[in-house]
Amino acid sequence: MKRIWLFVLACLLSVTPAQAMDGNEFLRQLDKNLYPPSYEMYRKIIDIQPDGTKKEFTLYTVRKGLDKMVALFLAPPSDKNRSTLRLGDNMWLYIPSVGKPVRITSLQSVTGGIFNNADIMSLDYSAEYNCEDMREEGDTYVLKLKAKSNAVAYDNLVMVADRKLGLPLRIECYAASGMLIKTLYFKEIKEFGPGFHRPSVLETDSPLHKGYKSIMVFAKIQKRDFPDEVFTLNYLPSVEGLRR
Amino acid sequence: MLCLCIPAWAQDRQFEESSPDLDFEIPEAEPRKPIEINGYLETAGTAYGRDKGSLLFQQKYIGQDLDDQTYAGDLRAKIEAKAQGDAALAYVRFKAQEQRDAEGWNADGVLEEGFLAFKPTPSMTVEAGKRVMKWGKGYAWNPAAFVSRPKDPDDAEETLEGYGMVDADFIKSFDGPLQTLAFTPVVIPVSEHFNKEWGKPGSYVGAAKVYALLLDTDIDVMFLAGDEAESRAGFDFSKNLTANFEVHGEAAVVFDHEKPLLDSQGNISADRYDAWSFLAGLRYLNSYDTTFILEYYRNGLGYSQTETSEYYSFVEDALAAYQAGNKLPLMKSRRYSQAYSSQNAMEDYLYLRIVQKDPFDILYFSPALTTIANLDDGSLSLSPELLYAPVTNWEFRLKSWFFLGDDDTEYGEKQNDYRVEARIRYYF
Repeated sequence: MKRIWLFVLACLLSVTPAQAMDGNEFLRQLDKNLYPPSYEMYRKIIDIQPDGTKKEFTLYTVRKGLDKMVALFLAPPSDKNRSTLRLGDNMWLYIPSVGKPVRITSLQSVTGGIFNNADIMSLDYSAEYNCEDMREEGDTYVLKLKAKSNAVAYDNLVMVADRKLGLPLRIECYAASGMLIKTLYFKEIKEFGPGFHRPSVLETDSPLHKGYKSIMVFAKIQKRDFPDEVFTLNYLPSVEGLRR
Repeated sequence: MLCLCIPAWAQDRQFEESSPDLDFEIPEAEPRKPIEINGYLETAGTAYGRDKGSLLFQQKYIGQDLDDQTYAGDLRAKIEAKAQGDAALAYVRFKAQEQRDAEGWNADGVLEEGFLAFKPTPSMTVEAGKRVMKWGKGYAWNPAAFVSRPKDPDDAEETLEGYGMVDADFIKSFDGPLQTLAFTPVVIPVSEHFNKEWGKPGSYVGAAKVYALLLDTDIDVMFLAGDEAESRAGFDFSKNLTANFEVHGEAAVVFDHEKPLLDSQGNISADRYDAWSFLAGLRYLNSYDTTFILEYYRNGLGYSQTETSEYYSFVEDALAAYQAGNKLPLMKSRRYSQAYSSQNAMEDYLYLRIVQKDPFDILYFSPALTTIANLDDGSLSLSPELLYAPVTNWEFRLKSWFFLGDDDTEYGEKQNDYRVEARIRYYF
């Protein structure tokens, strides 16, 4: 009987409301809910101009652990085979015509739209930010996040997250000066695998680009392990060989 | 944890309703195609403003009655094909050009790359064929790029023609301050049909590069030696100091380099020395999305101002001799024009490129200004450009080059005062 009570207690603890967590703990849980520890995925970026004109980009992305990520452009042909590597705070861009990887900064935009490298190559929030404050607002938490280093693109974030789902709903990205750079909206929760539900659409707008909108659509987020050597400059021109 | 398994009824339908015309399907997520063909077609029109008073113009066109301006039209195509399996890759890239200018039609085509690659694991690659292997961290110049042709600093992102080679890549990743270590050996064989720039048929060139990502800094050390090639050693590095500030540098030495000289009297000689070249550069992005690339280049293989002045003096005398009926000195000077008049043939240069992304809220619009200054003689080239790619796969570029400098300076003595090119490129 004692064992049964212990089991019930353990189950209750496992569904303890998130308010019992501190901000950083909640952030770590949110990261786990967004991505598996090592995975591959496909993304489509849609840039929409004020007149309704659209431009689309497709990326194949692989990631391992907290700090290793590669993104490869599959379409359109003008950008095909461009790839971006991130190792912690280091970021490189490989353009086939240039023929060698060059270091880039996280604030640059690879596509020319509102999403910049930091958005396309984003790591876990808990890896890049400390939670300085978390408060409840209805069904949501509002977290104030501060960048751990000056190598992070946005100095601070204000994140609104669903308390029950442990997923972000909206993130405002601020520069160190306090200027709002962009707002990210997480939408369309879908099932990507057994028990793995997360937003399938990320939308952004920016007061710096009024009337413009960019959308990132996620597909085929699948667990997959990769050797560390995949995440190196020398392997960057060969990333497409990982696709099956 | 149970709460995280809430099904899709929590979806936000409002967004889907507000974006009815968006296609969220990703056809590229299907399995990889075994063979892919890509490339571009482009057409360009170029106007050249001749500097008929310059030494190099007269050296080439003396006695010819030419207009002050001339025009050329180009049709160019670049096609690349790739066949890829799980552990092997075959790749070909071909570039063709058809040009119409005052002298008529000219057609040209070159196989830039064509090689087979074997990649049994991500840690190892072996390649054989015609290959472009770019070494060095500089944007405009790469003194440490021992096994590739020099790039055009005016169009640094264009593809180059490779050399026939056999190369390999061995990569190892680590945890800790040393994150990556890679070794890239290269062998360039010389035959009657290819790689003749490297020596006599039957000779070989060997080169190698060691790369390390150490303390968040890219570091390369490279070497080259051959039966007939001048031995070389080099080093480069690159590091991001902040999220918007990168620094890089290169150093290279060509041992016992032989530099051909032609003095003002027409005497031919050669200077032998260890030629050290350096490059130091930075890349900076400001809060207005303006990118600055600044590089200083010390070209150890280049000619000093005194050596260049001696050559120009000889060309001047050769032109006078030509007018007097003696063509031989001019023909002699032309044999050395490749060495003295090639791009950035002198010693000290400064490169500055400023690119503004999306000014006036115009997305995919990138105006840029590039200048290359010869610090030895004070002459410079100035290149404003407008690049616009508003429609998928279409790119429009308007670029001009202005060459500014006094008499007896590198850019002052160019054959043209300016050049303006309008280009339309379509990717497929």
